Amino acid sequence: MVTRELTFAQALNEALRQEMRRDPRIFVMGENVSSDRRQVTRGLMKEFGRARVRDTPISEASFVGAGVGAAIAGMRPVVELMLVDFALVAMDQILNQAAKTRYMLGGKVRVPLTMRALYGAGTSSGSTHSESLYSLFAHIPGLKVVIPSNPYDAKGLLISSLRDDDPKLFFEHRLLNRLRGPVPEEPYTVPFGKAEVKIKGEDVTIVATGLMVHKALEAAARLTEEGFSAEVIDPRTIVPLDKRTILDSVKKTSRLVIVDEDYERCGFASEVAAIVADEGFNHLSAPIKRVATPNVPIPYNPNLEKQVLPDEEKIMKAMRSVLTYKKFKG
Amino acid sequence: MPLTKETFSNLYRVMVRIRKFEEAARRLRAERKFPTGVSLYTGQEAAATGVCAHLKKDDYLTSTHRPLGHCIAKGADLKRLMAELCAKATGYNKGKAGPYHVADPTIGLIGANGIVGAGIPMAAGYALAHQLKGSDGVAVCFFGEGAANQGVIQETLNLASVWGLPLVFVCENSAPESPQMLGHRMNYPQLNIKDISVRGVAYGLPSATVEGNDVLAVYEAAGEAVKRAREGKGPTLLEFKTYRYRGPFRGEDAGQLEEEWRKKDPIPSFRARLMERGLLDQGDIEGIEREEGKAVEEAVKFALESPEPSLEEAFTDVFEIGEM
Repeated sequence: MVTRELTFAQALNEALRQEMRRDPRIFVMGENVSSDRRQVTRGLMKEFGRARVRDTPISEASFVGAGVGAAIAGMRPVVELMLVDFALVAMDQILNQAAKTRYMLGGKVRVPLTMRALYGAGTSSGSTHSESLYSLFAHIPGLKVVIPSNPYDAKGLLISSLRDDDPKLFFEHRLLNRLRGPVPEEPYTVPFGKAEVKIKGEDVTIVATGLMVHKALEAAARLTEEGFSAEVIDPRTIVPLDKRTILDSVKKTSRLVIVDEDYERCGFASEVAAIVADEGFNHLSAPIKRVATPNVPIPYNPNLEKQVLPDEEKIMKAMRSVLTYKKFKG
Repeated sequence: MPLTKETFSNLYRVMVRIRKFEEAARRLRAERKFPTGVSLYTGQEAAATGVCAHLKKDDYLTSTHRPLGHCIAKGADLKRLMAELCAKATGYNKGKAGPYHVADPTIGLIGANGIVGAGIPMAAGYALAHQLKGSDGVAVCFFGEGAANQGVIQETLNLASVWGLPLVFVCENSAPESPQMLGHRMNYPQLNIKDISVRGVAYGLPSATVEGNDVLAVYEAAGEAVKRAREGKGPTLLEFKTYRYRGPFRGEDAGQLEEEWRKKDPIPSFRARLMERGLLDQGDIEGIEREEGKAVEEAVKFALESPEPSLEEAFTDVFEIGEM
């Protein structure tokens, strides 16, 4: 296998191109997807034509709904939502129609739909252009939620998405698009529900997704200077979630910090904390810590935005707190 | 409303104010004094100016992600608006809103919106509030030709029509000849009709398509629509054909674009007409340019010298009472 360096966006582009060549049922639609300024879909219009690379009006409810319908009717649509915040305009189609149709119809249909969306803060884009929201979709039965953190996973997970028979949200952090990393030239898949242990460690487990994987790795590197080692786990898909890898790690380290860019309340970090409290309670020697965006909208001012976003410093603080925790012995 | 010399002069002044403010905004962004890009309205000034000239302080307005023209025409304070763009504590919304959400409820400006089309049904709510209170207030929602395809506007046209709401729908069609999105020529058109105003018929609304770069044409059409709304005769859909300054784009002939735009620019053409008809002389024109330029520079200075919001502000304003 030939491996070379690609950006996150180029890796996604290659996944789309290779799968569209393989499978004529795949087509792409969304706002401006035929534009060469869009890195992920660049050049696809030229190769596959306007029937398969379709610019849509600004009508999220209708083109997401059309994606659901086309998927049920045997196509494999890739719907691009631009920012995940805009998915909120199409929530009935996503949370009711895409998510529940297979179940409601007793499994008589499939909805092989991939909805791609940029997500995440850090660009002062304001409260409706900076959200993460993956926990919102993860809450609804019937949707898979995919969050790659690097170019290799981006390509492999997108190919898995295109071959998968269920509706899913595919989250691409807006600050990762230019990240470079090794990507094999041939098509390959990264399976859903299989976490990756990014680095091994003994003293504390960090679970993080998307951009936060990188923040967690930076914090883990700093922790070694303090004489401890952290194990960093990237679940890669939060639905389905690889509970086993997380529980096995906590069994070893006995401490857990979850880093989550989405809002804290009822979020992904809370879910992981609940699973470990429930199924791994006996392994724990300290309370579980969540480092998530507090329950406020994302502000425009860059200093205020920094206040609310998880970062290396906040992860360090959480790790120190669980590492120094002493159980009350009465 | 009779067209007095003062009306003409004010229409010209507001257009100049918007233009100068946006020129300053473009400059400050280039200097990285704003933390993000701002979507500009340059070239469309006649639409906001001609419509808002009929609005009172307690009439409501909803804008878009391209809000500066609407904000200024509705009477926004230039200092607080510029400070908001600079994300400062003295900004309209303490630096928390930015260009996509800036608002000033005290002048009925609520507000810019980061979601395409989202202000439209809210404007129906503002109009409904006026109707229920028995006031003669109205609401105006501005939106572009892109937002004209959102589901929510079809629903709101119908709702406003059946409830006879005092609401004026103002579509600024800035791509009448070449359907574009974000400067990109689309491989499928967004619209299969030439005039968005035809949609009014489908919901039983009076509607019209008007030359949007002619501030007097806008003023006249908006005057009728606002009057109907004030008199309890229901909503109107107005479409203004405008032509926004797009600047040089990669792969396009910047010179030609620039020249096309100059031909359509609403400000010099109105100035020429005013001077021809002897309504303003060179001295008046220079006076307006100088005063508005000065006001904008004062706004820039105010914004740049203003303090950052305190970090605690990140956690305030979520709820009225109680914890987050």
